[in-house]
Amino acid sequence: MPAGAQPNLIGSRRQRGPAPLAALAALLVLVLWAGVGLAGTGPVEVSVLMPAPFADATAPLVSRFNREHRDLQIAVTRGPLDTEALSDLAISSLLLGDTPYDLLLMDVTWTPKYAAAGWLEPLEPLLGSDALNGMAPGARLGNAFAGHLWRLPLVADMGLLYWRTDLMPTPPGNLGELEAMASELQGRGVVPWGYVWQGRQYEGLSCVFLEVLRGFGGHWLSTGNDHLPDLDSEEAVAAADWLAGLVRSGVTPAAVANVSEADSLQIFGAGQAAFMRNWPYAWAELQKPGSAVAGHVGVISLGAGTQGSWGLSMLRGSDHPQQAAEVMRWFTGEVSSRELAERYGYTPIWESLLNDPRLEEQLPLLPVLRQALESTALRPLTPVYAQLSDVLQRQLSALITGEGSARTAMAEAQRQSELILQAAGPKR
Amino acid sequence: MTLLLMLPALALVAAVFLWPLLRYGWLSLQASSVLTALVAVPNGGANWRRLIGDARFWQDTAQTLRFAGLSIGLELLLGLALALLLHRPLPRRGLMRTMVLLPWALPTTVMALGWRWILNDPFGPLNAGLAVLGFPPFGFLSQPSSTWLFTVLADVWKTTPFVALLLLAGLQGIPGELEEALRLEGANGWQRLVRLTLPLLAPYLLLAALFRLAQALGVFDLIQVLTGGGPASSTESLAVYAYLNAMRFLDFGYAATVMLGMFALLLALCALVLLVQALRRRSGAAGLVP
Repeated sequence: MPAGAQPNLIGSRRQRGPAPLAALAALLVLVLWAGVGLAGTGPVEVSVLMPAPFADATAPLVSRFNREHRDLQIAVTRGPLDTEALSDLAISSLLLGDTPYDLLLMDVTWTPKYAAAGWLEPLEPLLGSDALNGMAPGARLGNAFAGHLWRLPLVADMGLLYWRTDLMPTPPGNLGELEAMASELQGRGVVPWGYVWQGRQYEGLSCVFLEVLRGFGGHWLSTGNDHLPDLDSEEAVAAADWLAGLVRSGVTPAAVANVSEADSLQIFGAGQAAFMRNWPYAWAELQKPGSAVAGHVGVISLGAGTQGSWGLSMLRGSDHPQQAAEVMRWFTGEVSSRELAERYGYTPIWESLLNDPRLEEQLPLLPVLRQALESTALRPLTPVYAQLSDVLQRQLSALITGEGSARTAMAEAQRQSELILQAAGPKR
Repeated sequence: MTLLLMLPALALVAAVFLWPLLRYGWLSLQASSVLTALVAVPNGGANWRRLIGDARFWQDTAQTLRFAGLSIGLELLLGLALALLLHRPLPRRGLMRTMVLLPWALPTTVMALGWRWILNDPFGPLNAGLAVLGFPPFGFLSQPSSTWLFTVLADVWKTTPFVALLLLAGLQGIPGELEEALRLEGANGWQRLVRLTLPLLAPYLLLAALFRLAQALGVFDLIQVLTGGGPASSTESLAVYAYLNAMRFLDFGYAATVMLGMFALLLALCALVLLVQALRRRSGAAGLVP
């Protein structure tokens, strides 16, 4: 083809081109403008980050909400299953400054840390100061810190004692009886182990210890106004020694030093232990086919169980706090709470539901949960809680693996906890 | 002109390496934690003073070095053996090589979870094997004195194929005639390995060791999943400690300091390895002259 043909070709296009091209451009502009206009008047979307099981459990509720509300939509992001992995994801997005989430489903221990980091929106201006009225006493704890409300609980959770109804007529009434019964059953060769709990060096170990500590009448932080660590008290030493003694005597397997919730459920579910410490979720797991102990499991609240609830918080910088607050209220409200309890056995936070005979027919555990929620053991409410718990875990892990004595371990935990709280300053 | 051509690569290195390093250096001189509402406040080197007196940092340093030393040593030995085996004309060699590589292809977290079950006390297959032999169950992951050995085991299982692959590439670069010539001279297998293969493989061994050193000193996912650093913090690595400080304690100033401490350690060790190599090459070259 001759070179001269090229401009000619373009030229011929030019001659025909302008009218359709301009029309096309005009149409495009029109469509874009219309699109922007529509988006501007479209529904407000509130985005929520939750661990995957919560996202799955709430999915039917959320889709119903979205059908019923044209101007307000909820978008749930399925976060990782693991508590700490969810925290990592949330923190990474918060550190980048502009988080894509309006609401975050948080573990109870995160609240002071997130609030002190300036990541949360105080809720009482949006929800009023009576937002927690009507909730069980054990569920109300841990949501307020430094004079503000930061979190609305969605589901209550607390440590419980699981026992085998086929091995004993009645459960133990205190820690001493628990140890004696576990030891006796093990001694008779009825079960390989007496009592399993969470002894891996992680948060679960702190939860287990706190319950034993309360059983012995001790406290993690003193109950006075100063809130200083109280881990070298006689009660705390006795509590630590009790746990270590279970491992020493073999009532608890030495393997407990790497046992988390799932591992202990495995041992108890296989019929290998007379007692287990775990959260309410284990109940449903133990009734599933394949469980060697289905139908032979009883649950009690032995003293104050460690409080471990999940709740919704609003992240600072949300574009529509009013709507996000509305979504929070609906998510944690009695209608949603009842549905989650009926469908998935999630422990309700509302007194009305905990005392509802109709719900009790579906949830045989309800009376136990109601009683447990009358007094739960709260982990220290401080932004440096993770450090305090880490110190305790290190000392307890060493103790139950046979290193040192309870007295030295607790003295060291006390010393390091004091240092951490001193560095944090009087206000913390 | 040369500099101009290098500019894109240099810019990339600066963006992904130099900039974060400088930022860490700056952050390590600040108090930036949940207690300062994450606002960076200069604290006059307090983080560094704390690092020097931090028994946990030094304990984790020793534990990380212990982990790296044993795992790299074992990986080089086993990797060499595997590479020599795979270098020989074997039936179905392609299939064998693929199979050997499989552990390396698995994501570390998946592999670590697998090992957590294998080592489980009392339900794991290893304890089932011990029971068959009449031994009581062993707490592989619950003994502060020995659990670290099983973190090494899991790492060796996963990473030996990587070392073997590098060394196999090196073996294939050694001309066959050299080996043939030695064989004609009457050298036996051991002599051929020590006099010919190992000296020519040295750069590859060094490369594998350096790669592994960088990875092993930063070991995180394996430990986090397998033991969570326990029992009694006996398997905690420096990377786990830095992670705890940053993501759990929200103490970014100190986390940056720990990371830089770790980086200094890595630099020192790499420099040491390269120095030893340089010295050996000098004396080694002299020795080879007939």
